[in-house]
Amino acid sequence: MLFSSVSFLYSFLPAVLLLYFALPSGQKNLVLFLASLLFYFYGEPVYCILLIGSILSGYLHGLWIGKAMGSQYARLPLVSSIVVVLGLLFFFKYINFFIANFNYFAPSEATLLRIILPLGISFYSFQILSYTIDVYRGKTRIQRNFLAFATYVSMFPQLIAGPIVRYKTVEKELSCRTHSFANLAWGINRFIAGLSKKILLANTLGQFGELLSKTDPQTVLSLWLIAFAFMMQIYFDFSGYSDMAIGLGRIFGFHFPENFNYPYISRSITEFWQRWHISLGTWFRDYLYIPLGGNRVPSLTWGRNIIIVWLLVGFWHGAEWNFIIWGLIFAALLIAEKQFIRNLLGKVPSVLAHLYVLLVVLLSFVFFNADGISQSIENIRGMFGFLSVPLTSAGVKYYFKSYAFILIIAAIGATPLPAAVAAKVKEHATGKKIINIFEPAAHVILLVLVTGYLIDGSFNPFLYFRF
Amino acid sequence: MTTTSKNIIVTLSFFVLITGFMFANIITPHKVLSFKERRRLASPPVFSIEQLLNGQVFVDYEQYLLDQFVLRDKFRGVKALASLYLFGQKDYNGLYVVGDGIYKMEYPLKEKSVLNAAVKFNDLYDTYLQDMNVHYAVIPDKNYFAAAPKGYLTIDYEDMIDILNWNVKHMSYIDLFPLLSIDDYYRTDIHWSQDRIVHVAKELSAHMGANYEHVDLRYEKQELYPFYGTFHGQSALPLAPDTIVYLTNEIINNAIVYDYEKNTYGKVYNVDKFCGTDAYDIFLSGAKPLLTITNPDCKGGSELILFRDSFGSSLAPLLLQYYTTITLVDLRYISSKTLSDYIDFTPDQDVLFLYSTLVINNSWMLK
Repeated sequence: MLFSSVSFLYSFLPAVLLLYFALPSGQKNLVLFLASLLFYFYGEPVYCILLIGSILSGYLHGLWIGKAMGSQYARLPLVSSIVVVLGLLFFFKYINFFIANFNYFAPSEATLLRIILPLGISFYSFQILSYTIDVYRGKTRIQRNFLAFATYVSMFPQLIAGPIVRYKTVEKELSCRTHSFANLAWGINRFIAGLSKKILLANTLGQFGELLSKTDPQTVLSLWLIAFAFMMQIYFDFSGYSDMAIGLGRIFGFHFPENFNYPYISRSITEFWQRWHISLGTWFRDYLYIPLGGNRVPSLTWGRNIIIVWLLVGFWHGAEWNFIIWGLIFAALLIAEKQFIRNLLGKVPSVLAHLYVLLVVLLSFVFFNADGISQSIENIRGMFGFLSVPLTSAGVKYYFKSYAFILIIAAIGATPLPAAVAAKVKEHATGKKIINIFEPAAHVILLVLVTGYLIDGSFNPFLYFRF
Repeated sequence: MTTTSKNIIVTLSFFVLITGFMFANIITPHKVLSFKERRRLASPPVFSIEQLLNGQVFVDYEQYLLDQFVLRDKFRGVKALASLYLFGQKDYNGLYVVGDGIYKMEYPLKEKSVLNAAVKFNDLYDTYLQDMNVHYAVIPDKNYFAAAPKGYLTIDYEDMIDILNWNVKHMSYIDLFPLLSIDDYYRTDIHWSQDRIVHVAKELSAHMGANYEHVDLRYEKQELYPFYGTFHGQSALPLAPDTIVYLTNEIINNAIVYDYEKNTYGKVYNVDKFCGTDAYDIFLSGAKPLLTITNPDCKGGSELILFRDSFGSSLAPLLLQYYTTITLVDLRYISSKTLSDYIDFTPDQDVLFLYSTLVINNSWMLK
């Protein structure tokens, strides 16, 4: 089920909220767990079994790790947990990639398996791993209550596209959490903001990119605009989903971690990755990069660590070579920044540093967005005038004009400016009063607007669902 | 307002809205048709274990909910208004507003399609129409008058006509472009208005050399209101409706329409259709593959074979003055290969290919 669907907004969510707040505290986890199973079943009926199996595996491995703690076989349950989780992930997400490449390089004619990628498997697998690894490291306590653990893994607000919530982040709230109008209003505010980002901006930018892709012939300007539109679309799509997840979590009394912090205002790629998909970056940092030695190792080993981590970050996003290359591009840039250009970036005018990041990110997303490497390279060649395509066309100019205002809103919305203005206004008593009056009205207007877009729109799944 | 009060209002308004619409959707009876969108709406999903396990029941439920959502048309209007006037988009799903009229962009010119239309005409000529008096004319769509001056994308009409003129053989071209203006079309619909094309019918018949003896061009105007055209429903914008004007006289009133598909006889105008999904269907009862209109008052006149699209439905009655029978062929619904099963092609018949630029630019629909 999609957050941005009428079935979620006007059937599932109100029914779950009514039930959740009608029942006493002791029953709330049960409501959340059953609602989450229904949420998942709605999108992936058959793979519900896989989700339940993964939950059971994580729960039992946690108990086993606790039991084996201190013994000579203490590592065995951890290794078993990792093998099971990554084994399932490998089978369902990557097996066909390896078969296809084996067929290409061997060469052979092995048949591809008829597997559909289970929704959210990359996210809930990493959540389960964070739990078993943290239990093994003694950083968190074993959860003996199956319902609490199952609620943690399956919780529908973050089940399908994150943020990757670690068990210890919500450990206390799984057994004891508070509900207040302040939390509810904060959560609703965040949810509607995310929903609006997804529906009004991301989907419209996607439509803009699609229209440009269909214009014949392609032009230098259209290729740049498609790349820019996708860069903005993916930000508003994914950060919008994260906002909805964080908002829904708060409505149900949970405090999920932030996942985005205005990544497009970064002055370096290192900073960009501290602001983009934060929960994934920190997961790889804590469970892979640091165990490999982090940066407290000789330069060559550090470079190897960076390459391994970013190769896997790219591969996590999709079982395609262009995702691997996308990850490796960032590995190369992070190494280059640390070894060669960090000082330079500190000295150049701020605007140049920002332009450097935006250009690199925009070009990297060309690889992310393309169907294969050859198309990515073709698009980049076209953007820089190495293809015999015209500079622009009547169609491209028309759509650029038509979507100019949306592009401006998106560009401003990707910066902290709107939030800073609101904070400034709130500093004054009168301003605060105005915002307090304006906020509920804005929510209603946005909800009506979004509903109009949903009812008239076509199916627009979140981009990050495919990961 | 204090922050605490604001939090309570935000929470309550959100809960009231989502639960209110949930209950409203449950208690509102579902509709079968959407007149504005001119389509059948989704009905409740059929439940079975198989449909449940393969997820189809949820796909169907999603569509059902979208189609049957309370105030659906109002919400669609909200989106249209927001796209055009809040976010400043020039068009909304290809629809745009100029003055009080609504238009749908047609872009780009599909040269292969235009060429395909020419090939189709030539094939028909070679198969059925050799040595006959054959003509063709193209009806400009509304964009011809409004798109370019207002900066909207539009096809190159000159190119289209040039391609046709270069490739269509053995037929003479009748230029209708100078005869028409934007005022000749409905504001909310794709079509021309019958009361505005009497001179077009006269020009066409003159070119085809029709017999002008005893021709009486007096008509009585009949009006039907309100007419919500195709674009009105598609856009969901709050625009004023049109009035359908149809012209009658003794000849038209006495004419008999034979529908080959249903094997039935009827009248030129079917006013009952005004309350159907497309009010323009009052002309010859709407889209039909093959019709013959017989004019019992015209003795010894000639016959016309009219290859046409929906624009022809409102034009054909105006040609009745000049012909004993008019056979209307809509190649979107009947294969050209089977025509000789129904029509006797004879050298004394006039033949006219009359298509709008929209069909010429999407001619793959011609069978």
